[in-house]
Amino acid sequence: MDEQGEVTRREFLKTATTATAVLVLPRLSEGASQPGVASSNSTVNYGIIGTGTEGCTLLRALTRISGAQCVATCDIYPPNQKKGIETAGSNPQLYEDYRRLLDRKDIDAVLIATPLHLHALMLLDTLSAGKHVFVEKSMFFKEEEEIPIRKAAAAHSKQVVQVGLQRRSDALYQCAIDMIRAGAVGKVMFVRAQWHRNSDWRRPVPDPKYERLINWRMYREYSGGLMAELASHQIDVANWAIGAEPISVVGTGGIDYWKDGRETCDNAQTIFEYPGGQKLVWSSILCNAHYDFNEQIMGDRGTIEITLGKGLFYTEHVAKVSQGATKESWWAGATVTELAKQQGLPIFPETVPPDEGFFARENRYAREWLMRHGYRTIPENDAWYEELTNFIASVRDSKPVACGLDQGIADARAVIYGNRAIDTGRKVFWPKTIG
Amino acid sequence: MRGWLQKGTASFWPGLLVGLSILAAPRGLQPAGRVGRDVLVPCARNVSNELKRYEASHTSMGTEFAVVAYGQDVRLLAETVEEVFQEIDRIDEQMSNYKPESELSLINREAASRAVRVEPSLFALIQKSLQYSEDTGGGFDITVGPLMKTWGFFRGEGRVPSPGELHAVLAHVGYQHVKLDPAIRTIHFDVPGIELDLGGIAKGYAVDRAVSILRENGVAAALVSSGMSSIYALGAPPDEEGWKIILRDPFDSTVPADVVYLKNFSMSTSGNYNKFFTLGGKTYSHIMDPHTGMPVENMLSTTVFVANATDSDALSKLYVLGPEGSRRYLATHPNIQALFYLPVGSKKQFKRVLLQSDSHNLPPDTLVKILR
Repeated sequence: MDEQGEVTRREFLKTATTATAVLVLPRLSEGASQPGVASSNSTVNYGIIGTGTEGCTLLRALTRISGAQCVATCDIYPPNQKKGIETAGSNPQLYEDYRRLLDRKDIDAVLIATPLHLHALMLLDTLSAGKHVFVEKSMFFKEEEEIPIRKAAAAHSKQVVQVGLQRRSDALYQCAIDMIRAGAVGKVMFVRAQWHRNSDWRRPVPDPKYERLINWRMYREYSGGLMAELASHQIDVANWAIGAEPISVVGTGGIDYWKDGRETCDNAQTIFEYPGGQKLVWSSILCNAHYDFNEQIMGDRGTIEITLGKGLFYTEHVAKVSQGATKESWWAGATVTELAKQQGLPIFPETVPPDEGFFARENRYAREWLMRHGYRTIPENDAWYEELTNFIASVRDSKPVACGLDQGIADARAVIYGNRAIDTGRKVFWPKTIG
Repeated sequence: MRGWLQKGTASFWPGLLVGLSILAAPRGLQPAGRVGRDVLVPCARNVSNELKRYEASHTSMGTEFAVVAYGQDVRLLAETVEEVFQEIDRIDEQMSNYKPESELSLINREAASRAVRVEPSLFALIQKSLQYSEDTGGGFDITVGPLMKTWGFFRGEGRVPSPGELHAVLAHVGYQHVKLDPAIRTIHFDVPGIELDLGGIAKGYAVDRAVSILRENGVAAALVSSGMSSIYALGAPPDEEGWKIILRDPFDSTVPADVVYLKNFSMSTSGNYNKFFTLGGKTYSHIMDPHTGMPVENMLSTTVFVANATDSDALSKLYVLGPEGSRRYLATHPNIQALFYLPVGSKKQFKRVLLQSDSHNLPPDTLVKILR
């Protein structure tokens, strides 16, 4: 595909094959209508395409946000259809063909939580239909989908495009990034991230005919596997912390443990390199969960480690060198224990009761230390709630999105090139024209 | 100048500026010459004549060790301080009662059933500890480990044991149960359940080892601090008579109580204010009276000034004896000063008592100047 040239709609559709025959064909009409920008006082009517696990997670958070109403759901799998309607709780109209949902003039915004291979298609159709769009990560599946998406977003610049990388809306990650920007860890040179599980990463299939529909993550026709579903979040964190997107990636992986007919890797390891020489080392395995999930952001002055719901800050012991004499003044007193510091200072320390023990008190000192350095924020809500509150506010009041087109594209590219590195066994460089 | 202190008796702080200074060395700094690597690789170092200050910290033994050193060669300072931290880690690996693989933990596991042969430096430190126990009538005691566990001060949050528990645990406390055979360097406990805890002396020992390494590498001005509690002042900073050290108020870590100038001398503090727990409005500190099995009361902190940090760390446990109980020790042991902060009523106030040895003649090139 010529990156400089026009990409016709038809060419695009040839690449964005929908092999799942049960899923509907894209609509071919091009008519770009005006976005349904709701006023501050009105309710944002939204529809959601895909009401599986992730779609319902979005719906549950949306039900708590005032000024937004689910008027339509779309899914092709009966149990998910039922789950979606129940979760929305607003008696939405059910569709099996997402194009009929897009036809509705009363819908302002659409959320897309379908298998990965459908994201780009549905995103383009939603923009064409004049709706604001929230698309789950990874934003797109194939390299050649990037330019049509960029063009469509530019052509519909008044419509909100938000990508569901919800760490961008997570107070813990925001605090960590604030700390990094304020120099708490010094120069970030290395990020280590992993997502380890001890399970086959499959969903239960009540009838074999639904295997590919339910376990679409196992099949390369629809899915980027572990890279797309898990790494995408952590690559986004690394991009955010480093403030750039990668320039190259090497990787390896395979189907080495769960030899159950799946086509996507059951383990993947990649090393991404950034323009300043920073590296992201990422791994995912499905045969050991001990190290579970975390991101370790390492700079020359400290480390921030984030696990689910918990952030720890470790300082590096860095020598201070100065010229000539200093007015020396040292403090003395009973031993100051540093166990909490060795175990990491919690970014969001738990509440310490007044009748506190000495470990709890150390935690309190840690919190005071963070506050003195201006690093502490209060976690308010879960990331999905924050992310969707942001989306609704963007739709209604033109608030900037927490995770927009550029972040989504950078993330999707890294997933695609990471998989390519694993598949080919070669170092993959980002194309010169982008990045 | 020393007349204001009555030898061996408690004397309330007169509120005056009090100096006990014996200053012999000329001001300024004369870094010692260095042999060894420099001689072998004469051009390897880019040495400027400017004095550099190098400050680094390191977490070990559950606290943070800090070193600041002056010299002309930053690389030499950096390498020396790195060696210091490695030595502190080595001591921690050997003497920690938190690490099951340490030599001390092995002694604790096996010395009740057999005589365990001990590495010389650890043996010497245990020997020294037992000597302190004898000299302080058991005020300092390295066998309080089981007591600390009963009170929840070992990997716990603190708890008050029942009288029955205390009675039972005191059967396993007492330095008299530790038997040493210096000829073959073995240790044996004469009752089961004895556990050694060097938490009251090992940090001071580590500071002394740090100072030895600094001296060996020609560092003439440095300060070593183990979590603020044990400090050794090597030489003096440039153009100063000694290292300025602020002793914190027992009620507020940000308020200075006294200011001390030290040179070639050590000070250590034991206090009730960092490791304690409160239950039902009552505060229990981690410093135990080995005789009663109860936390020491009516004492806020005790700071001891003595020539080396091993001694000052151990002797800061004069805290247990209090001013009255410390008098006998000071009558028979020279060149020690002990500064007690005692509670006054229920308010956040304290009174000072400064005692010193009957025989107090510090060597030249040493400075201990305590200013209020």
